Amino acid sequence: MSVGYLAVGWNRQKKIYDALLFCFCVVYLLSFIAITAISNPDYTFETALIRSTATLATLLLHVILAIGPLCRINKKFLPLLYNRRHLGVTMFCIALTHGAFSIFQFHGLSNTNPFVSLFISNTQFNSVSQFPFQSLGFFALVILFLMAITSHDFWLHNLSPRVWKTLHMFVYLAYLLIILHVLLGAIQYETNPAFFIIILAGAFSIISLHLIAGFKEVKKDNQNFSVETAKESLAGFVEVASVDEFEEARAKIFCIGAERIALYRHGNKLYAIHNFCKHQGGPLGEGKIIDGCITCPWHGYQYLPHNGQSPPPFTEKVSTYAVKIVTGKVWLNPVPFPEGTEQAGAEIPFEKELHIKTDE
Amino acid sequence: MNKEDFYIGWQHAAPAGFVKHIKKVLIALLLMILSLAVVLGLNQKKFDTGNFEFGKITEVKGIYSNNPIPLLKIPGEKDLSGNYSTITIPLIGFGKFGAQTVMENLEKKAGISLLDKEIVLKGTLLYNDGKLLMQVEEKDNYNLKLNNKSIPERRHIQEDSVSTELKGEIVDPKCFFGVMKPGEGKVHKDCAIRCILGGIPPVLRVRDQYGNSSYYIIAGKDGKPINKQLKSFIGEPVSVAARVVIQDDWKILLTEPANIRYISRRELVYSGSQTISCTDYCKQ
Repeated sequence: MSVGYLAVGWNRQKKIYDALLFCFCVVYLLSFIAITAISNPDYTFETALIRSTATLATLLLHVILAIGPLCRINKKFLPLLYNRRHLGVTMFCIALTHGAFSIFQFHGLSNTNPFVSLFISNTQFNSVSQFPFQSLGFFALVILFLMAITSHDFWLHNLSPRVWKTLHMFVYLAYLLIILHVLLGAIQYETNPAFFIIILAGAFSIISLHLIAGFKEVKKDNQNFSVETAKESLAGFVEVASVDEFEEARAKIFCIGAERIALYRHGNKLYAIHNFCKHQGGPLGEGKIIDGCITCPWHGYQYLPHNGQSPPPFTEKVSTYAVKIVTGKVWLNPVPFPEGTEQAGAEIPFEKELHIKTDE
Repeated sequence: MNKEDFYIGWQHAAPAGFVKHIKKVLIALLLMILSLAVVLGLNQKKFDTGNFEFGKITEVKGIYSNNPIPLLKIPGEKDLSGNYSTITIPLIGFGKFGAQTVMENLEKKAGISLLDKEIVLKGTLLYNDGKLLMQVEEKDNYNLKLNNKSIPERRHIQEDSVSTELKGEIVDPKCFFGVMKPGEGKVHKDCAIRCILGGIPPVLRVRDQYGNSSYYIIAGKDGKPINKQLKSFIGEPVSVAARVVIQDDWKILLTEPANIRYISRRELVYSGSQTISCTDYCKQ
């Protein structure tokens, strides 16, 4: 978290992340080009560069798309998520190198503007075998470009998290375009089935990971709660859990109607806040209270449990909810208070008291 | 991983449980990228043996002709039949352009027609599979050496052959014979279209069942360029019905778009009479 806008808010872990990313990219590019040169004495560097950057960008896109569901399945992958934007921008730069070299090589130095040539040279859009696959790659690159230039908190705040997130969800469209670009282009040229098998395995992995993570989320979403109507003091509340299910500084997430609520235990109180982090929609209920603040597991954004506000000088706010504890049961009102509204929280009775009340 | 472990990116260090796990993931990723580099690098289609002498200017003396495309003929010694074994060098321009404009401008500068004159052209050679081409630019030929004397009449092989139908792919010879790798197929299709529409002569590449290739310059029935009409056939497997004219070491297909049809890529190679083997076949 930072108060002002910095080009990059460097910290030790980001530096390690970027250094490793750089090394991995260099290792791949050098290995691919060296193997191409050794196994093809007649190779040309331009072609080796176009191919190495194409395959590296596709590989990185698979890694980027896998990180999200992997983190949903196993939290140990979270360090990969933390600096995913740098991974995305790196992938775009590599894809841009591929695109720029290809456009120059195949469309440059001709009697037509290269960007016009891209669309008027091969116009067989009605043929699968002759489809102008380069245009698909171009549109994917445009999406990746828009994502790369908005990969900064400046744009996240100015576009609003919802618009920003929607824009960045277009990565799936870009992925589809890239898969088609490869299938209708290089795969039709190359005769070795290894290329087809690898691209198919990649797509299968991404789809499988998303389905596994999705099913896990659906289980959470399908919790059934019924709103209390009999007791006047609990009108509008729903019973969600027993008080002894809560661990100190951790939360449980409840999906009640359209609301996703994170219910935290902090000291001897329970507090409820909206589960979506204002930064990038991270699941606040999977975070932890550190230094008295609910800390998002994705990028470490923090909120105070009693009012859903980020500690000064930060300004993010999330909704809060009313919580009650009655005879050892936790009751939650799913109607949100305005963002940043102070809540007293529900005091957890001492264990003895709790047992006495439960026995009654 | 300790249950209490919680990862925050902006903290100085990640908890030990996370570090241990991420190290394993990184090792797996490293092995994966190395494996992919090896598998993809080794399994890509072999590069052509074409050569483009980029940055190297060569002087070539020969007789200029523009029938059916700008070219330079370098006469050799007489063979047993009394024919001169001529080497023909098709000329092409810089980038994705033909050499027509370059040669016209050189003619304007010289003030005379260069047709059938012996000239010394400077340019960049490109060659593959027994064919030699040269990229020429005006800037390299401002001081064109020209022999105004009449050229002694020489008997070149120039015969009409039978009409025939050939199956192959229309390529642009500049890329195919050296500038690009690959200079054919789907991935190169757009580039071939731009080159041929820019004036580079279209060439039909025909392969026999042994993988040997023959090359045919495509022109209209009247011998004039039909580059623009060929646009939709470039980079595609096609069958061309044409009259074949042999000019020294190149064969010319005289045809029209109506005589060209699409075929499946599988039809490109099969045993039979795919390759016209010069004069023996033509004289039948």
